[in-house]
Amino acid sequence: MIAKLLKRFGPSESTIGRYLVTAMTIGFGALALAIFAAIWVTQRNQDHTFWVDHTYKVEVELGNLRAMTEQAETARRGYMLMPTLQSFVPSYRRAAAAIPPALDRLAGLTSDNPVQRANIAALRGHFAGLVDQRERAIRLTQQGRVDEAIAAFRTDTTVTRMKHVRDLLGAMETEEHHLLARRDFEQQASARLFYVVLAVAALLILLVAMLVMITVARFTRDITASRNSLRQLNASLEDLVQERTADLSRANEEIQRFAYIVSHDLRAPLVNVMGFTAELDSATREIAALIDRVESRAPELLTQDVRLAAREDLPEAIGFIRTSTEKMDKLINAILRLSREGRRVLAPERLDMAKLVASIRDSLKHRIDETGTEFVIEPSLPNIVSDRLAIDQILSNLVENAVKYLQPGRPGKIVVRGSRSGRRVAFEIEDNGRGIAAADHSRVFDLFRRAGRQDQAGEGIGLAHVRALAYRLGGIIDVRSELGAGAVFRLTLPATLNELQDDRP
Amino acid sequence: MNAHNSVTIVMIEDDEGHARLIEKNIRRAGILNDITHFTDGTSALNYLFNSPEGPALNGPALILLDLNLPDMSGTDILAKIKDGNGALRRTPVVVLTTTDDKVEIQRCYDLGCNVYITKPVNYESFSQAIRQLGLFLSVIQVPDIGETA
Repeated sequence: MIAKLLKRFGPSESTIGRYLVTAMTIGFGALALAIFAAIWVTQRNQDHTFWVDHTYKVEVELGNLRAMTEQAETARRGYMLMPTLQSFVPSYRRAAAAIPPALDRLAGLTSDNPVQRANIAALRGHFAGLVDQRERAIRLTQQGRVDEAIAAFRTDTTVTRMKHVRDLLGAMETEEHHLLARRDFEQQASARLFYVVLAVAALLILLVAMLVMITVARFTRDITASRNSLRQLNASLEDLVQERTADLSRANEEIQRFAYIVSHDLRAPLVNVMGFTAELDSATREIAALIDRVESRAPELLTQDVRLAAREDLPEAIGFIRTSTEKMDKLINAILRLSREGRRVLAPERLDMAKLVASIRDSLKHRIDETGTEFVIEPSLPNIVSDRLAIDQILSNLVENAVKYLQPGRPGKIVVRGSRSGRRVAFEIEDNGRGIAAADHSRVFDLFRRAGRQDQAGEGIGLAHVRALAYRLGGIIDVRSELGAGAVFRLTLPATLNELQDDRP
Repeated sequence: MNAHNSVTIVMIEDDEGHARLIEKNIRRAGILNDITHFTDGTSALNYLFNSPEGPALNGPALILLDLNLPDMSGTDILAKIKDGNGALRRTPVVVLTTTDDKVEIQRCYDLGCNVYITKPVNYESFSQAIRQLGLFLSVIQVPDIGETA
């Protein structure tokens, strides 16, 4: 019932647990995503920076190249104009010498770009041409053939080549700018993507956090509700138990009262039956005496029927009535005794069980010695706190039965032992007597019921009494036995009789 | 009993059979006093206190009382008889009943019952007890009703 009620109060712990774990997993996933996105974006940034730097390097080289070319050209032209000024020559040499390495550096920087490679190849061609023409012009000028050099300058391709070089350098610069613009755009795109990922992760985490909070709040509310309901249930359960206990003890009292009244009221008519039977008996004796007298004086007055009636039928009938009423009297007394035991107030006290069992043995000493029975009390019987009279009656009955129902032809042996387990103790009375068939195991504890050969006196009250007493002491009694193979009666009791049990009215 | 033989035995017993057996055995003990028998408490009380032939108005008596009566409890009757200022407070009451409850016995003596006898179920014991009661009745002195302390 309680399990069903618990189920009604919200989701179970395991569902909640699974739910929370899922939510946490999603939350951590979102966090991991954000971290990965950050790492990715940082890498992209580094790449971008590298490429921006690269572009600037290329531009610097381009500028350098342009400057050198222009300087070389300027120096050549200056030298042709003023051949006397020898300082143009080293200036030209320096600029001309700087061009090939600058071109190589540029080629190295742009080796991954086919467009730039083509441009550089074209540049190399132009530069080669330019170098030829310039060297010739410088050489002619140094030899004093300035006119020749100027004439060559007019006819050669220097001007167009320079124009081409400038165009090419410009194209390369534009190309690099395009690349940079594309990389900027990519960089912005990845930054946008990063923000989107970050936003999604943040949203997810927020969502998960909210869900978890809501779940936990609901779960807490459910727990509080179920705890309150449990508390209420508990309180009402206690009431219920008290009510039931009261009902039970009322019912028990009722039964006890009933048994008491019934046995009392049965007694009154029984007194009459027995009384008038006795009267009838004495009257019968008078009649029998009269018959005897008549027989001796006037036998002709008597018939055989009259003789039989007075001498046999009447005494026989009276005999049967007598034995039946006597038996009934015993039964009524048994019921009375049981009901009286049930009403008796129990008085728990500390009991020395070894001593108690020894006194039971002593009280049965005569029977035990007579039958040659060996009686063993095992050492260390646990002591208990219980009602002395009840315990004494239970054990006396059990020991008496053991002595009473021995197997003929087998020397009797009775063992009393005890053990303690937790708050309960168990006592066993074992005999090697005639035993009880399994079918009769529960029957022997019923009132007026007996088992086996009815060759011993008794009404079938002892064990019923024992069981009633055991129940009253909060204990139980059971039996293990086989027909012809002895019996073990086991009495299990609380080690300390609960005081509450004696508060019954 | 008293020499002039005027003490009436009032028997309050609802069971006719018991009454008859009691009477028989009292007679067997040699008691010849009048025995007046009532089977219920109301008529018995009426006789005891109000009847012109009853003991309250007319001479000494001895009461045999059963506790289990159909209309009232025997202890109520006992209480009325033994009431502090009643005319019958000194009248001997023998409670003769099947009840052997300790509490009930104590209560009867507390109320002033003179003898409490439990009817034995065994008839031999029963008749023996009644005969002994008869012997007892033959020797006890019963106070006169009119006397005051």
